[in-house]
Amino acid sequence: MASSSTIALLNLSSPFSSRPILSPSTIASLGVATRRREKKPSLATVKASGGGGGGGGGGAKYKGTQMRERLLREMIEEKVAEAKEACEGEGEAAAASAECRVAWDEVEEVSQAKAHLRLKLEVLRQDPLESFCGDNPETDECHVYDDDDE
Amino acid sequence: MAACTVYTTQSLHSTCSISTPSKTHLGFNQKKQILFYNSGKRVTNRGIAAVPYVIRCSGDTVVIGLAADSGCGKSTFMRRLTSVFGGAAEPPKGGNPDSNTLISDTTTVICLDDYHSLDRTGRKEKGVTALDPRANNFDLMYEQVKALKEGKAVEKPIYNHVTGLLDPPELTKPPKILVIEGLHPMFDQRVRDLLDFSIYLDISNEVKFAWKIQRDMAERGHSLESIKASIEARKPDFEAYIDPQKQYADAVIEVLPTQLIPGDNEGKILRVRLIMKEGVKYFSPVYLFDEGSTISWIPCGRKLSCSYPGIKFTYGPETYFGHEVSVLEMDGQFDRLDELIYVESHLSNLSTKFYGEVTQQMLKHAEFPGSNNGTGLFQTIVGLKIRELYEHIIASKAAAPLEATKA
Repeated sequence: MASSSTIALLNLSSPFSSRPILSPSTIASLGVATRRREKKPSLATVKASGGGGGGGGGGAKYKGTQMRERLLREMIEEKVAEAKEACEGEGEAAAASAECRVAWDEVEEVSQAKAHLRLKLEVLRQDPLESFCGDNPETDECHVYDDDDE
Repeated sequence: MAACTVYTTQSLHSTCSISTPSKTHLGFNQKKQILFYNSGKRVTNRGIAAVPYVIRCSGDTVVIGLAADSGCGKSTFMRRLTSVFGGAAEPPKGGNPDSNTLISDTTTVICLDDYHSLDRTGRKEKGVTALDPRANNFDLMYEQVKALKEGKAVEKPIYNHVTGLLDPPELTKPPKILVIEGLHPMFDQRVRDLLDFSIYLDISNEVKFAWKIQRDMAERGHSLESIKASIEARKPDFEAYIDPQKQYADAVIEVLPTQLIPGDNEGKILRVRLIMKEGVKYFSPVYLFDEGSTISWIPCGRKLSCSYPGIKFTYGPETYFGHEVSVLEMDGQFDRLDELIYVESHLSNLSTKFYGEVTQQMLKHAEFPGSNNGTGLFQTIVGLKIRELYEHIIASKAAAPLEATKA
């Protein structure tokens, strides 16, 4: 394996040479533990922030995706409550019971789905409905919020 | 029996040949079939008229298994992997927007959750988690992976993670490289035997906890207690059904808390170990300085300055579940491009095609989590290893007929 000391193929004068590889602004948007709790988005908030049109703001572009985000958020709350209830009881037996394990597994499933959606929207900047809405822009799900709305 | 499907593709020439079934080192019969083709020109090859498209032959698909417990949104690993082959992996266009599949020019990534035999309601009724083999249809998984490997398209079910239901199937065509990702890629022996290479992503409990806190604390419904309870409740099934698969993996990426900062439990600085099985065909483990010896290396010093807590590498032979393995370990973080280049220039057997390729791949996805530590580095290296494995397998299939004709 030739080990050359000249790196012809990479541009070392690129901005990366002094910038951290994983920049602080990206870490922030990935939602680390220090992030404030999200407020439930209302149409007003969505409108005020420009609706994240075009996905440039890293948010959901289409109404259908925003609805999905909201649904997943609500499901997490519901399922956590259900799991706590299912695991109530005296000590080990309750915790080890099938109902309890299945309930927390559901919580995990929905949390994963929400996190996956967030990763897609914020890091990959792709709305999952992009392709569908490209073909069906007139459906309700594909409504895009922007400043001129309402 | 030759079975070939015709696809119109702009690219390559591929040749394969007919030969009698033979056992590969993996121990299964592989029927090789062929046709020869070439795009564009009127070339006659053994008297067969040329046609302007490539005919894909059975047995061209290389199958990779990836075991991970973070849902099929292990997008970052998948994207790094597919990016090594060129092109970005996207969900299938025009289909179910909740599809878990990712498709690029060369690679298709299938989520094994699609083979759930029980949907969310069904699992609740039966009292089984998704981790339980009873919630999964291994017969269908085996049939379809086998079919894809043989060059046949399949109607693959879709498990919708939002609704928790099984949606109508989507047509999945055999790609050059098929990656099956999920909780049970190596659970069923028949499926295991179809894999050309397998990877297990082993996250330690402390790191898992720290990552789930980062992932879930921003959600209104979650608290530290609920996150902890969820991990604890899933542990028994995880240890019974998922964890044992790691003994079968050709490569294990183990993620642990750092040893560089005493008492650190934030999970931000990671110690990552790439455990590579010895003796796997077409897979040559990465090494540091001298293959087979034991090395401990701190690159930071006079030539390279690093910020706290720095970087530490170790390399050496070990035994893992009775197999001989080589382990390359990185503890710490990269802060700057030149640290990454410096490290790359000292590693051997990286399977890169040019100097700096690892660094270039890491920079391409600088915004992904893990870009500054061993997780991103080893995922990228595994991607390069898979590329090399793929090229060797294809080359060996092309070479075989030439041998036969010489006889």
